[in-house]
Amino acid sequence: MRIRKKYLFYVLAFTSSIIAALISGIDAILNLYLRNPWVIGLSIFFMGVIISFIFTLFLSIPYKGRSLGARTIDPLFTRIRFIKKEEIKYHLLAGAGNALLTIGYFALLSIIIDPSIVLPFAQVAILYLVIIESISEKDTPTLVEVQSSVIVTFGAILGSISLSGNISLEAMAIVFLVINPGWVLLSIYQRKLKLMKINNKPNDAVNIRLWNVFFAFIFSAFFVVIYDYYHGTNNLAEGIFASFDYFGWVVLVAIGVFFSFVFYIRALGIGKASVTQAVKSSVIIFSIPVSLILSYYGIIAPLSTDPVLVLIKFIGIVLMLLGILSFALTLTKAYIFIKMRPGYSIEETMQKLWNIKGVNRVCAVAGEYDFIIKIRTRTLVKGYERILRKVETISGIKDYRWQSVLKEWEDI
Amino acid sequence: MINAYILITMQPGHSDKAIKEMRKIENVAKISVVAGEYDIVVRVQIKTLEKLLKVTDQIQMIEGVKKTTTQVIEKEIAL
Repeated sequence: MRIRKKYLFYVLAFTSSIIAALISGIDAILNLYLRNPWVIGLSIFFMGVIISFIFTLFLSIPYKGRSLGARTIDPLFTRIRFIKKEEIKYHLLAGAGNALLTIGYFALLSIIIDPSIVLPFAQVAILYLVIIESISEKDTPTLVEVQSSVIVTFGAILGSISLSGNISLEAMAIVFLVINPGWVLLSIYQRKLKLMKINNKPNDAVNIRLWNVFFAFIFSAFFVVIYDYYHGTNNLAEGIFASFDYFGWVVLVAIGVFFSFVFYIRALGIGKASVTQAVKSSVIIFSIPVSLILSYYGIIAPLSTDPVLVLIKFIGIVLMLLGILSFALTLTKAYIFIKMRPGYSIEETMQKLWNIKGVNRVCAVAGEYDFIIKIRTRTLVKGYERILRKVETISGIKDYRWQSVLKEWEDI
Repeated sequence: MINAYILITMQPGHSDKAIKEMRKIENVAKISVVAGEYDIVVRVQIKTLEKLLKVTDQIQMIEGVKKTTTQVIEKEIAL
């Protein structure tokens, strides 16, 4: 199936959000039976490893020349595989990030009973990602992206704010210094893994998720063992037993998390981590019907009908939608076809072209042109000022042709 | 795996129908409608040069395609 690439990104990110919203509902039910946050978390991680392994194995079954996984959730997936040497570093960091944010969340629940005021600030992770990308990534965020990220972040905070619950400096410190950096590590390194080529093919999201949950479980279990040792608790064993005692609910959460992450990782492979995270924050909007159903059945406390709070939440959701829409409507892509004069090194010129910010792809080609480069910019003016002017300064370039992309379809 | 770009010049008024036809061709990985010297840029992924010829042939057979220029990728750096 071929779908417009822009739509594919949003389809993947929104699908991931919808599944995440459903999981939050099942999570709330599980909370009725299991009160200890460490036990819940570990049981879900433990079952997550088993479920991810079983699903990845099942998706590896070949059917008419392609694996079931390639036919259903990720066209790049061929079969379950061990991680490659070059992936280990990124998997360790992404796994540590996942474990860090999970441990942060458990710790938060351990110190305050109702974290609903503090948790919305986890959305600030979007801004952390914008800052990290500005410093480290070749594809730095543009002003429009920064503006949209800020709008989505504030919208997400307002959209998920609660007037009940507890707030403390300690809790805020956990959100800003543990949970948010955890998300950043997880997003940045999962994206790096997704952009890697394995056996000359782009990496697949299914294997990335499988190994991420494995490493995250190892790191979390290690931390909980130390925690148990110092506090005289037995959370590790209780967590593992709980995954069997509440098998049905835990399995449902683990399956949901698996699919939610596979779609999220695929989206990370198309968009920037900050933009993907911003779109993913739409989980707040999708959680509203889930919360309404849960409160109707008395599983969670009834939603507040305080007109001020409803207005604040409404403003937050409108801001989020505006921010997401702004991301979607302001991306410009173009090809530049370049002809070279004889006597200049192709390899060196290729590297010079690649060093220009905003250049996403450089292809040395045989035919009428010598290079085809693909660029991504938020405005045509920036494309001219930041990219084309720099292309012009590279010695040896005889001629170039700019071709703005109007519409694009890509094989999914 | 061989990757190539096929740059296509169209006769006016045929683009929409031609794109629908191109989307059906196997080995076509990406189709970009562009503004400039060319009208459509197609990226193909094929195993052999013989198959590239077949894909080019299929594209040239589409009504409204005026000219194609094939650029085989020798080396690539991408995000």
